[in-house]
Amino acid sequence: MQMGDSSAASGTSLNSGGRGAKAASSPAENYQLARRRTLQVVVSALLTESGFESAEKAAVETLTEMMQSYITEIGRCAKTYCEHTARSVPTLSDAVVTLIEMGFNVDTLPVYAKRSQRMVITAPPVTNAPVTPKSLSAGQKRTHPSHIPSHYPEFPDPHTYIKTPTFREPVSDYQVVREKAATQRRDVERALTRFMAKTGETQSLFKDDVSAFPLIAARPSVIPYLSALLPSELELQSLEETDSSEQDEQTDSENAAGNANADDPSADKENSVLPPGGVVPSAKASEDNVIDNPYLRPVKKPKVRRKK
Amino acid sequence: MNKKKDKGFESPRKSVIGYVELTIFPTVVNLNRIKLNSKQCRIYRVRVNELEAPFIYNDPTLEVCHNESKQRNLNYFSSAYTAAVSAVDPDAGNGELVIKVPSELWKQGDDLKVLKVYIEFSLDQPKGGLHFVVPDVEGSMAERGAHVFSFGYQNSTRFWFPCVDSYSELCTWKLEFTVDASMVAVSCGDLVETIYTHDMRKKTFHYVLPIPTAAPNISLSVGPFEILVDPYMHEVTHFCLPQLLPLLKHSMSYLHEIFEFYEEILTCRYPYACFKTVFVDEAYVQVSSYASMSIFSTNLLHSPMIIDQTPQTRRCLAQALAQQFFGCFISRMSWGDEWVLKGISGYIYGLYLKKTFGVNEYRHWIKEELDRIVEYELKMGGVLLHPTFSGGKEKDNPTPHLHFSIKHPHTLSWEYFKMFQCKAHLVMRLIENRISMEFMLQVFNKLLSLASTASSQKYQSHMWSQMLLSTHAFLKSISNVSGKDIGPLIKQWVDQSGVVKFFGSFAFNRKRNVLELEIRQDYTSSGTQKYVGPIKVTVQELDGSFNHTLQIEENSLKHDIPCHSKSRRNKKKKIPLMNGEEVDMDLSAMDADSPLLWIRIDPDMSILRKVEFEQADFMWQYQLRYERDVVAQEEAITALEKFPTPASRLALTDILEQEQCFYKVRMQACFCLAKIANAMVSTWQGPPAMKSLYTRMFCCKSCPNIVRTNNFINFQSYFLQKTMPVAMALLRDVQNLCPKDVLNFILDLIKYNDNRKNKFSDNYYRADLIKALTNSLTPAISINNEVRTVDNLNPDVRLILEEITRFLNMEKLLPSFRNTITVSCLRAIRQLQKNGHIPSDPSLFRAYAEYGQFVDVRVSALEALVDYTRVEKSSTDLQWLLDMVQSDPIHYVRHKVLGMLCKNPPFTKTADSGLCNEALVDQLWKLMNSGTAHDWRLRCDAVNLYYTLFGLTRPSCLPLPELGLVLNLKEKKAVLNPTIKPELGVSVVMDTPASIGIHGFNTMEEEDIDMETVHDSQAFIHHHLNLLDRPSTPGRERKEPPLVEQPLLSMPATPLPPFSKETASLSSKHGGDHGHHHHHHHHEHKKKKKKHKHKHKHKHKHESKDKEKDRDRDNSYAYSNSPASGRSLRSPSLSD
Repeated sequence: MQMGDSSAASGTSLNSGGRGAKAASSPAENYQLARRRTLQVVVSALLTESGFESAEKAAVETLTEMMQSYITEIGRCAKTYCEHTARSVPTLSDAVVTLIEMGFNVDTLPVYAKRSQRMVITAPPVTNAPVTPKSLSAGQKRTHPSHIPSHYPEFPDPHTYIKTPTFREPVSDYQVVREKAATQRRDVERALTRFMAKTGETQSLFKDDVSAFPLIAARPSVIPYLSALLPSELELQSLEETDSSEQDEQTDSENAAGNANADDPSADKENSVLPPGGVVPSAKASEDNVIDNPYLRPVKKPKVRRKK
Repeated sequence: MNKKKDKGFESPRKSVIGYVELTIFPTVVNLNRIKLNSKQCRIYRVRVNELEAPFIYNDPTLEVCHNESKQRNLNYFSSAYTAAVSAVDPDAGNGELVIKVPSELWKQGDDLKVLKVYIEFSLDQPKGGLHFVVPDVEGSMAERGAHVFSFGYQNSTRFWFPCVDSYSELCTWKLEFTVDASMVAVSCGDLVETIYTHDMRKKTFHYVLPIPTAAPNISLSVGPFEILVDPYMHEVTHFCLPQLLPLLKHSMSYLHEIFEFYEEILTCRYPYACFKTVFVDEAYVQVSSYASMSIFSTNLLHSPMIIDQTPQTRRCLAQALAQQFFGCFISRMSWGDEWVLKGISGYIYGLYLKKTFGVNEYRHWIKEELDRIVEYELKMGGVLLHPTFSGGKEKDNPTPHLHFSIKHPHTLSWEYFKMFQCKAHLVMRLIENRISMEFMLQVFNKLLSLASTASSQKYQSHMWSQMLLSTHAFLKSISNVSGKDIGPLIKQWVDQSGVVKFFGSFAFNRKRNVLELEIRQDYTSSGTQKYVGPIKVTVQELDGSFNHTLQIEENSLKHDIPCHSKSRRNKKKKIPLMNGEEVDMDLSAMDADSPLLWIRIDPDMSILRKVEFEQADFMWQYQLRYERDVVAQEEAITALEKFPTPASRLALTDILEQEQCFYKVRMQACFCLAKIANAMVSTWQGPPAMKSLYTRMFCCKSCPNIVRTNNFINFQSYFLQKTMPVAMALLRDVQNLCPKDVLNFILDLIKYNDNRKNKFSDNYYRADLIKALTNSLTPAISINNEVRTVDNLNPDVRLILEEITRFLNMEKLLPSFRNTITVSCLRAIRQLQKNGHIPSDPSLFRAYAEYGQFVDVRVSALEALVDYTRVEKSSTDLQWLLDMVQSDPIHYVRHKVLGMLCKNPPFTKTADSGLCNEALVDQLWKLMNSGTAHDWRLRCDAVNLYYTLFGLTRPSCLPLPELGLVLNLKEKKAVLNPTIKPELGVSVVMDTPASIGIHGFNTMEEEDIDMETVHDSQAFIHHHLNLLDRPSTPGRERKEPPLVEQPLLSMPATPLPPFSKETASLSSKHGGDHGHHHHHHHHEHKKKKKKHKHKHKHKHKHESKDKEKDRDRDNSYAYSNSPASGRSLRSPSLSD
C-alpha cells in the first residue's frame, strides 16, 4: 500500500515539478518526500562509488524508483512471512528468508557492508512520522456492558451496525424537488451530449466557433425506421412501471422476432403467430385451437414430377 | 382472360424473371393483333398457342418530345404528353406491346377460338412499378429486412408485368411467386399452397383470385415479414417487417371494428375471402388498396404510448378498407367515372369518422375539406369531376385553365388529384343531403350486390361488366332507389367545375320587423361558378332559432326574412337554441333594437361554397359562445380575428376554458387569441394572453411557475396543453418582440417537463414546445450586415439555441417516435437562420436530408433546403435538390422535393432571377420529358414545377426559338413522306410500325394541336421506323421482317383488324359486348387514316395564314441546304 502510493507520488512529481510545493503542504507527504530525498542521496553515493561522475536526473530518478521498489518489496514480503507465523513484528529471520526468496545471496551481504570504499551519508533528518488521521467517528460509541471485560476491543462506531441518523430534514418541498430533478436531468443530459459531441463527429451552427453549440453529427442509419418507430428502452421502462402486462408482450415478441429467421419456417411461424394469451376471445379459442390461415400452413415438399 | 404469372425474385440484383399467360377469347373475327401494356420489362419471347409470335415494343411516353426538338414551352409538352399517353391507353385499346398473331392461327381466330398468349419477360432494377428496399448491411436478405413491393399511381401495373393495364378489363387470376425460402410473398387472392422448389431453397406461393379483377388492382409484396393473424378475424392476416411485431399487434387491434362498421352500413359482407395488410418501408403513398390486400407505410405502426399517430393510423386503415369495396371490388368503367368510386369510398370513410370520432370531428373534417377544395379552386381554377370530351377538339377542352390535361389520370397533377378526391366525397355528401343517407346506403348495397352476383358468375364474363361502375349506372341507381331527380345537382357539381363564392350582409328593418338579407355572388373569377337554387339560412333570434330556405335566383340579391321576436330584453327569459337547449345569455352587448343574435348562411354546408358574411362583432361573439355547431364556432373564431376588442378576448378565453367545447375549436381559439392580443398590444391589460389560463390548467397549485408532471390521460386537455404554448409564442410586444415573460415561461415548461409518471410518450408535446420556441423568434436587428458569430448572439436566442442543441443531441441517444423532435429542431434552426440570428448555412440540412435518415427528418431537412435555396438564391443547392429528384432511392422523397419546390419556388414566372437560365430549363425539360418516365406522379410533379418556374410559354431566359428546329422538321418530313402513304407500297417492312404511328397521329389530330405537335408525331413515326434497326426488346427482331410481310400482303385495303381482350376463365364461353366497342373503334380508325392525309394538306393552308411562322419556315427552307448557316447570334444551340 505504502509503496504504491509513494511511487505514484514520485511518478507524478517527476513529470510535473511544480507539484512538489503543493505536496509539501501535507505532513504525510512531507515525510515521504524527505525519505525519498535520502534514497536519492544513497543512489547518488552508490553511483559515485561505482565511478560515475555525473548522472542525468531522470536516470537517478529511475534508479531511486527501483531501489525504493526493492526495499518496499522486501518490507512487504518480510511482513507477510511474519504474519504467516502468527507474529506481528518481523524478525531478522523473516528478512533473511525474504532476501533468499528474492534471489539475493545473503552471505555476500556482510562483506559488502564492510567494504572499504563505502561512503557514509548522514542520517536523514528526523521528521515526525505522519499521524494517521483519526477515522471519522459518528455518534456515540457504546461502552461495554458489565459482562464484557474492559480489555476487550471497543465497540465500533454505531453507524457501522445501527442505522445512521441523518441530521438534515429530507427535502419535502415540492418546488425544490422539482427544481432539483429538472436541473439534475438537464445537467446529466447536457454533460452526456457534450461528451458525445466531444468524442464523436460534430456539426456546427457557427463557422467562427465550431465548439460553441456542438451538434452530434447526423449519421445515416441502415434501417432508419427501426429506431424511429420502436419505443426506446427508457420509454419501455417507464411503461413497465405503469403497466407490467406490456412487458410480457414485449419479451414475447422479441422471442418471436428472434425465431423468425430460424431454419425451419413452420416452427417459427407457429411461434410468432400464436396471439398473446389474453387477446383471443376465449370462446373462439376453445372452439378451434388451430387457426386455419394459409400463411400458417406448413410449406409443402415439391412433388416428384413437376407439373408443367 | 386468365392470367398466370410466375416470378422468380432476386433481391441482391433487384431483378425479376417472369412469365405471363393470357387466355384470350376473341369476340370478333380477324383478330390478328394483340396490344398489351408493358413498360420497362424486357420481353424475351411471345408465343401464341405455342407458336412464336413477332411483337413490337414501343413506349412513346419514355421520351415525350424528341431530342432534336428545341421546343421548350409547356403547352407543347402537355399536348405531346397527352398524345403519348393516349397512344398507349388501354381504355382505347392501345398498348406499348403489339403482338402479331401468327397467321396459322388466323383461321382459328375467325372461329373465335381461345388464344393463349405466353410472354416471358424480365425486369432488371426496375425504376418504377416495383420498389426494392435492400438495406446495406451484413447478413442474409431476410436478416437485412430486404423487401419489395409494387406501387404506382393509378393504373401502373404495366411497369412490372405485361397486361391490359385498365381498370375496366376484368379477369380471374392465378398468381405464382417463387421467392427465397426465408421470404413471404403476399399478393392478391387466396393463398392456395406454398411449395418448396426442388433444391429446397426457394418457395413458390400459389395464389388464386377467383373474383374478376382488373390488372391495376393486382399487387405484390415480398419480404421476410412477420406474420400476425388477426385475433378477431382469422381470415385477415397482417404482415410487417422484422422486429415490428409488437407495434403491428397494437396498431391492428382495432381493424375488426372498421370491418364491422362497413359491413353493417353496407349490409354486405366483405367481398373477398381474405384480407391482407402489409407494412413496408419507403412506401410510395401511405395507403394503397388492391384486390384483397392493402399496402401501407410502415411508419403508420405505433406503440400504445403514442397518442397523435393513433387516430391517423386508424383513419388510414379505414380509408384502405373503404377502397376495398369501392375501387378494388367494384372498379370503374372509364377514367371519367373515377369520381364515383373515389366519392363513395371517401363518403363511407366519412361515415366511419362520424361514428368513431364523433359528429364534431366529422363536421370539422367536412369543413376542413370544404375549405381546402374552395381554396384550391379559387387559386388554381376549377376541379372537374366528370369531364366529357365530346368533340375531341382542343377548343372543347373542359379545363383550359390548367397546364395539364385531365383526359388521363397519368397527366394529372398530384395536387389536383387529391383535390379531385376531396371534391368527390363532398359531392357524395351533397347527394346524401338530397336523397337521405338511407337511400344512399341502399344504392351502395344495390351496387355491391349486383357486383357480387356478377363476380360469382364464373362462366359468364359478359356479366362482369356489372362489377364496373359508371357515372350513368350510379345515377340511374340513385334515381331508381330514391325516385328523386338529382340531375341539377350533378350538372352543377359534377359536370361543371368551380365553387360558389357568396358575400352576405344584412340590415334589420325595425318597422317591418324584417331581416333584409343580401346575398351576392362572385361568379366571374377563376374557379367560381354561379349558383341558382335553394339556400338555407339560420337566424338565431331571442325567441329561438329559425331556419329559412331562400331561393337564389338570377337577379334577386335581397331577401326579406320576417323575424319572430320583438326585441324585448327586459324580460328575463332563457333563450332557446337550435338543438332545443335553453340558455341564459347576457344580452347587454346586443343592439337594443334588434332581436337578432346571429345569422348563418348555408349552415349544413350543402353547397360547395365560401361564404363571406358580415355581421357585428357581438353577433360573432354570441355565435361563438352559444351556437353548438363546431363549424359555426370555427367560423366565428375566424371572423373575430378582425375584431380585436376586450369582448372578443373574453369570448375566446371563455371558450378556451370550457371543457365541453370541442378541443379543436379550443385549439383554434388559442391562435385567434394570440392575433387579437397582438392587435390590442397597446391596450392589453394583465399578463400575456393564455398565460394565467395555462398556469391554472396545467401548472401546480402551490408553485404556479412549475408545470405539473405530464399526465396525458385526457386527450382533449393534452391537445390543448400542446397547442397553447405554440400560440402564446406568437404574442408580440410593442417592439414587436416576443415578450420576455412568454419566452421564460416556455423555457420553464421545457425545463420542468417530466414524463416519468406518464403512460404516454411526450414526444409530440416536446416537439410542440420547440415549435413554440421557433414561433417566438423575430428577425434579428442586424447592424450593417455583420457576420453572425457566437459572440454577438442575442442572449434570448442563446437560451433557445441551447435548448435546441440539447434536444437535437438527445435525439441521437434516445430517438423519439418518428423523430418528431429532430423534425421540430431542424425547422427551428432554419428559422434562426432565416431571421439572421445564426449564419445561414445549408450543410446541416444536407446531412439530415441524406438517404438513411428517417423519412420525416429528411422531408423537414429538405423543406429547409428548399427555403434556403429560395432565400439565398443558391444555384448549387437547387442543383443538389434536382439531383436528389433524379437519383434518390425513395420515390416519396423525390415527389416531395418537387412538391416543396412548387410550393416554395426559388423563383416564379413573374419575377426575374439569376437562377433562371438555359441550363436549368434544359435540365427540367429533360426531367419531365424523359427523366421521369418510370413514375407518372413524378413526371406530373416535374410539369408542375416547370409551370411554376416558367409558365406555359417559352421561358423568358431562353433565346428566341431558332431555325434549327424547323430545319430538322423539314428533313424529317422528307423521310416521313413515304410512310404516310403505305398503300403505295413503298416499303413493306415499314407498314406495321407506321400503323402504330398513325395511331398516335390520329389521337393528336383529334386534339387539333399546333404544327409542332404534328411534326413531333412525325418524329414519333420516324422513331417507329427506327425501331426495327434498334429494337428496345432484343431477341425476336431477326425473324420479324418475313412475318411482318405476310399480313400486309393479305390485307392491303382492309381496315386494321379489330381485336379484343375479352376475358373468361379457362373453360368459359366468350364474352360478347366488348367486341362491338372495339370493332367500332377500328372502323373509325380506318376512316381517320384516310382523313389524315386530307388533314395534312389542310394544315399547310392553315399554316400559311400564320405569317410569322410562314416566314420562319421560308427562311428555314432557304437555309436548309447549308447546315453551316448557324448565323443567328441568338441561337448558340445550333452548334449542338
